[in-house]
Amino acid sequence: MTILAPLQPQPLIMLRGVTRTFPSPAGAFTALADVSLAIERGEFVAVVGPSGSGKSTLLNLLAGIDRPSGGEIVIGETAVHGLSERAMTAWRGRTVGIVFQFFQLLPTLTAAENVMLPMDFCGTFPGRERRGRAMALLERLGVADQADKLPATLSGGQQQRVAVARALANAPAVLLADEPTGNLDSRTSDAMLEMIAGLVRDGQTVVMVTHERGAIRVASRTISLADGRIVATEAAA
Amino acid sequence: MAPRWRKVLRDVWLHKARTTLVVLAIAVGLLGAGAVLDTWALIQRATREGYLASNPASATLRTDSIDAALLRRVRAVPGVGDADARRTVIASARAGGPWQTAVLFALDDDPEVRIGHVQPEAGAWPPADGAFVVERSSLDFSGAAVGGSIGIMVSDGQAVDLPVTGVARDVGLAPGWMEHVVYGFVTRETLARLGAPASLDELRIVVREGGMDREAVRRIAWDVKAAVEATGRRVRDVDVPVPGEHIHAAQMNSLLMTQGGFGVLALLLSGFLVVNLIAAMLAGQVREIGVMKTLGARGRQVAGMYLGVALVLGVLASALALPAAAAIGYRYAALKAELLNFDITGYTIPLEVLLLQLAVGGLLPVAAAAIPVLRGCRIPVGEALRDAGMGTGHVAGGRLLHRVSGIARPLILSLRNAFRRRQRLVLTMLTLATGGAVYLGAVNLRASIRRSVDQLFAPYRFDLTLRLADAYPAERIETVLAQVPGVAAVEAWGTGRAAVAHADGTLGNSFPITAPPPDSRLLAHPVLAGRWLRPDDRNALVVNRGLMADEPDLRVGGSVTLVIGGRPTEWTVVGVVETVPAGAAYAPRESLAALTGSGRVEVAAVDAALNGDGAELDLIQRLRGELEREGLAVRSSQRMVESRRVLEDHLLMVAEFLGAMAWLMIVVGGLGLASTMSLAVLERTREIGVLRAIGARHRAILTIVQAEGLVLALLSWAIALPLSVPMSVTLGRAFGRVMVAVPVTYVPEASGVLRWLALVIVVSVAACAWPALRAMRVPAAQALAYE
Repeated sequence: MTILAPLQPQPLIMLRGVTRTFPSPAGAFTALADVSLAIERGEFVAVVGPSGSGKSTLLNLLAGIDRPSGGEIVIGETAVHGLSERAMTAWRGRTVGIVFQFFQLLPTLTAAENVMLPMDFCGTFPGRERRGRAMALLERLGVADQADKLPATLSGGQQQRVAVARALANAPAVLLADEPTGNLDSRTSDAMLEMIAGLVRDGQTVVMVTHERGAIRVASRTISLADGRIVATEAAA
Repeated sequence: MAPRWRKVLRDVWLHKARTTLVVLAIAVGLLGAGAVLDTWALIQRATREGYLASNPASATLRTDSIDAALLRRVRAVPGVGDADARRTVIASARAGGPWQTAVLFALDDDPEVRIGHVQPEAGAWPPADGAFVVERSSLDFSGAAVGGSIGIMVSDGQAVDLPVTGVARDVGLAPGWMEHVVYGFVTRETLARLGAPASLDELRIVVREGGMDREAVRRIAWDVKAAVEATGRRVRDVDVPVPGEHIHAAQMNSLLMTQGGFGVLALLLSGFLVVNLIAAMLAGQVREIGVMKTLGARGRQVAGMYLGVALVLGVLASALALPAAAAIGYRYAALKAELLNFDITGYTIPLEVLLLQLAVGGLLPVAAAAIPVLRGCRIPVGEALRDAGMGTGHVAGGRLLHRVSGIARPLILSLRNAFRRRQRLVLTMLTLATGGAVYLGAVNLRASIRRSVDQLFAPYRFDLTLRLADAYPAERIETVLAQVPGVAAVEAWGTGRAAVAHADGTLGNSFPITAPPPDSRLLAHPVLAGRWLRPDDRNALVVNRGLMADEPDLRVGGSVTLVIGGRPTEWTVVGVVETVPAGAAYAPRESLAALTGSGRVEVAAVDAALNGDGAELDLIQRLRGELEREGLAVRSSQRMVESRRVLEDHLLMVAEFLGAMAWLMIVVGGLGLASTMSLAVLERTREIGVLRAIGARHRAILTIVQAEGLVLALLSWAIALPLSVPMSVTLGRAFGRVMVAVPVTYVPEASGVLRWLALVIVVSVAACAWPALRAMRVPAAQALAYE
C-alpha cells in the first residue's frame, strides 16, 4: 500500500515574483514582496522569521488557501494561482496536506474517522480501503491505539500526530505545517520534529513554518523571511 | 458509513436538546397540517363514496298525490334514470323529554329505497305499519331508543305513541342533533293513523346522463315538471342541489381549507426554527468548515452535510408527526363526519396523502436550511480558518440602553443579549407573534360571531312562532292569541315557498317567502338597498342577500316572475335586507294570501311578556290550548331562543375549530423561543462562566436568561397586535365563505389582548426554564474553557 508520495527527481514547487498585499485603513499592507523560491521534491524546508514577516501568508499561498496579488505559483505541473475556487479545492485535497498549530481535528469524529475524512471528500481510495489506510497511517505515527477515541480525550502530542496522519491521508505531494509544534511541550515537540524528519527520509516534501530552533536542525533548508522578503537561505550542513 | 455522515449524526446528537426542540416544532407544524390533510382526505373519500353510493336525488319536485302511474310516466321522461316518491311531514315528537320538532318521512310502498338509500343500522327496516324508525343523528338528541316508544303529534294535536323499532342513517340529511330536529321514518299507513295526509307529494328523480351538470339536471327536471303538470297536478317547487355534493360539503371543504392554510402556516413557521438552528450550527462550525475545505471538501459536499442535518430533523419530525396526525385525523374526520351525518369506519387515508406529508416533512427543513447553508458554505477557506467563533458583540441600540438610567445591569445585559443576533431575533418573534395574531384573530372572530348573531336576531322581535295545521283568517288568529295572558304582541303571517322563473323556462331553487303585515312591529330587518314593505304595496318583494346571490338577475326596482303554489305571478323587487344566509324573501301579507285564493295565513309570531325556558314553554302550552279550543289545530311551535342556539352552535363550533390552529402555532412559537434561548445560552457559555467567576449567583443568571426570553416574548406580544388585524380580516372572510358574513373587527378585543399577554408570559417562562437551568448548572471552569 502506498502511504507516502513516491520520490521523483524534478523540482516540485516554484514561486516567481510572488506578492501579496492586503488592504488596510492605513493603505495597502504588503505581506509578501516579490518572493521567488524553488523547492525540490523530498526537501524539508523550514520557514522562519519574526511575527508579521509573511511566513503564514507564504504557507497559505502554497496551500491555495489564499491567492497572490501578483506573481506565479506552480506546484508540480499546476499553476495554482490560476485555478478557479472549485478546481483549487479539488487540487488542494489531493496535492496538499496541511497540519495546523491547533490541530483542528473535528471534535465529533474519532481519530481514525478524522484521518478517513479527506479520503471521503476526495474519493481517493475505495471506501472499504479507507479504514485500513487510516489505521496504517496512525500506526506509522504511533497512535494506532488511539484510533477510536475522540480528539478531546487525546493529549496534545497525540492530537498532532493524528493531524499529521490526516494530512497524509490522500498521499499529498506536499505536506505543509503551520507551527506544528507551537502548542506542544518541548519533549513532545522534539518527537514531532523527529517524526516529520522521518517522513522526509521516506521521500515526503515538507514545508514547515516554525519558531523552533530545533526545526532548523532537522530541516534540509531554512528560509528566513523579514518584512515579506526572503532575507536568507541556509542549507543544512 | 462515511465519516462525514457520522459527523452529521453526531453533531445532531451532540446538540440533542435544541435539536429535539426544533424536531418537536417541525413535528407540531406537520401534525397540524397533516391532521387537517388526513381529515380532508378521509372526509372526501367518505362523502364522495358514501354520498354517491346512496344514489342521491338529482332533483326533487313537490306536487300532489303521486301514484304508480305518475312514477311510470316520470321514468319515461328522456334523461330520467329513476324516480321515486315520499312524503315529508312536519310534526312534534317527545320521547321522555319536551316536545321537539320532528320531520317524518313516509316512503312509497316499494320496500327498497332506490334513491337516497337509507342504511339500516339497528333493529327493523323498513318500518312496519304503526312503527317508528329513528334516523341515527337524532337518536341521542331525541332520547328515543329501540324498544322504547316515542310520542308523535301532527296536525290534529292528538299525540300518538309509536314503538321505536329501528335506527337508520340517511346521509343526505344534515344531522338531527345539529338541526335540533327528530328525523324518523314511518309508513303511509302510520301517517294516516297520526292524522297526517298519507299521499306522496315529494317526487325524487335521478338523471341518466350528465348527472354532474346542474344546468342539464335542471332542464330534465323542467321536462319532468311539464310531464307532471300534464296530468293536471300542480308542481309547487323544483329543487336541484349541486350534483354529487353533500348539502354541507362546500362548507366543510372551506373550513378544512382554511384550517389547512393555518396548518401550513404553522409548518412554515417551524421552518424558521430550522433556519435558526442551522444558522447557529454553521456559526459555531465556521472553522470546521474551513478545515474540511482544506482537507478537500467541496462546497456542495459541505452544503450536503448541513442539508443532511436538516433532512435528519425532517425525517425525525415526520416519524413523530405522521402517526399522530393520522390518529388525530381519524378522530377529527369522525367528528366532521358526524356533522355531515356520515360514518368513516372502514375508510383509510390514501397512501399518496401520507407520502405527501413525508415528502413535505423531509424537504421543508432542507428548503428552510438552504439559504443559511449556502451562505455559510461560501465563506472563503482563509476567512473560515480565522473565524473566532463568536460574534463581535456589537448590539444595535446598545449605547441607547447604556444611557437609560435606573435599569439594573443584569437587565441591561438581558436587553443587549436579546438584540445580538438580529436575524434569529426576528424569526423567533415572527413565529410567536404569528401564533398570537391567529389567537387574537380567533378571539375577534368569536366576538364578531356573537355580534353577528345578535344582529341577525335583532330584527326578530318576537319569542316564538306557532305553525297552524291549516290556514285561517289573520284577524281570527290574532284575536284568539292576543287574549292569552303573557302575550305582549302577536301577528299572523302568511308563508309559502317560491321559485324564480328564469327566461329560459327553468325554475330556480325554491326559497321560503314570509308575508307579515306591512306595518309589522315584530319584524324589522335592516335594509341594505331599496326599502321595506309599505301598507300600499301590491306584489312588492323584499329579498335577502342570500337570494340575490342565488339569483344574480334580481335587482331593486326590477320585476321578477315567481312561481308560488305552482302559479307564476309578477312581482317587483323593492328592497334588499340582511337576514339568514340562505335565500329568502318577504311580501305583503295580503298579496301572498290572495294567491292561495282563501286570503288566509297559517303562522303566528308571538312576543312573550315573560321570557325564560319555563315561561315560554308554559305560554306555548296555553297558546296551543286556546287555539284548539277555538278549533285551530297547531302543527308545530318554535322558540327563537332555540333557533338562536342552533345557529350559534353551528357558528361557534366552526370558530373553535379555527381557534384550535392558533394554539398549534403558539406551541410552535413557544418551541421556537425555547430553541432560541437554548442557542443563546450555548453560545454565551463562556460569558456566563465569566459572570459566575466575578460573583454572579444562580439567581442572577436565571434572571438574565428569563428576562431575555421575556423581552422577546413581550416584543412578540406587541408585534402580534397589528398582525392580528389582517389575520382577523382573513379569518372573518374565511368564516363568511364557510358560514355567514360577520362584521370584520379591526381593533383587537381588549380581553383577548390581555389574555394573549398572560399567555405569552407563561410561554416565555416555560420556554426559558430549561435554558436557564442549563446556564446555572454549567461549572464556571468548564464554561470559561468553552470555545
